[in-house]
Amino acid sequence: MADRATSGGSRRARTAGRGEELPWVVVYCRTRDGKSPALDFLDSCPGKIDAQFTAVLDAVAAAPPPRFSGGGKWEAMHDDMAGWFEVRLTGPGREQFRLFCLLENADAAELERRGLLRPAIAVIAGMRKPWRTTFSERDYRDVRALGDDYRQNYPRWIAT
Amino acid sequence: MPDTERLDVSLHERRRVARMEDPEYRLAYERARREIAQTDAVINELDSLRIDLGLSKAELARRVNRNASSIRRLFTAGRTRPELPLIAALADALGADLRVVRRSDGPSSPQGENDQEGRVAAAS
Repeated sequence: MADRATSGGSRRARTAGRGEELPWVVVYCRTRDGKSPALDFLDSCPGKIDAQFTAVLDAVAAAPPPRFSGGGKWEAMHDDMAGWFEVRLTGPGREQFRLFCLLENADAAELERRGLLRPAIAVIAGMRKPWRTTFSERDYRDVRALGDDYRQNYPRWIAT
Repeated sequence: MPDTERLDVSLHERRRVARMEDPEYRLAYERARREIAQTDAVINELDSLRIDLGLSKAELARRVNRNASSIRRLFTAGRTRPELPLIAALADALGADLRVVRRSDGPSSPQGENDQEGRVAAAS
């Protein structure tokens, strides 16, 4: 089955038979050991950064891809991270904060198989770095590994 | 369908509600939502104007001397931090102006003037 979770598909969630658009939901991936790297990251961020991340996620959930949404802070990633989306924020001292997300968008049967009633933004992990530095390839590989683990599970493993 | 299980997806909502108890968090969240809404409104309004005029993204790109992929990425959130000069050029190419108007619930001036509303908008 073609996976639309990372394709940025244009379908919107609708209530049965009424044609009303619903916002997507936001979920946080949970790992085998019961931890949630994304939530741990958000909890470690300055409060204002946490608030801004939440605001971007809520805005994108309300107006999901492919529409422009997130105030320029939500971006489709490329190359080895193609299929991923990141929220990009700048904090005190120009410290850079990133939240890495996957889209859960598919037909109703596939969403149900994943345990979801409607499309979702799955928040997988977050990272921070000083201004004008880069994350290593290993950092990105670790994020992709979390995403791969997350997408292997039916239903998804999410923090509750 | 076998083995299906509806997940509890309410954590994000519950977490936000709990965090909003902190006034500093609430202020940062509400400010971020306003800023995001303004940026989104401008970009989406420009895209609506483009559609109304029957212009393809490629044609609009030609009019502002950009490549088509950059304009496509702009209108689909494939690119962050849209540059104001580009936004102004797009507005001009679409026969629109960008304006900053004071919001009625914004801070008042020292003289107590309250003569303008306040937000950024693309207007044709």
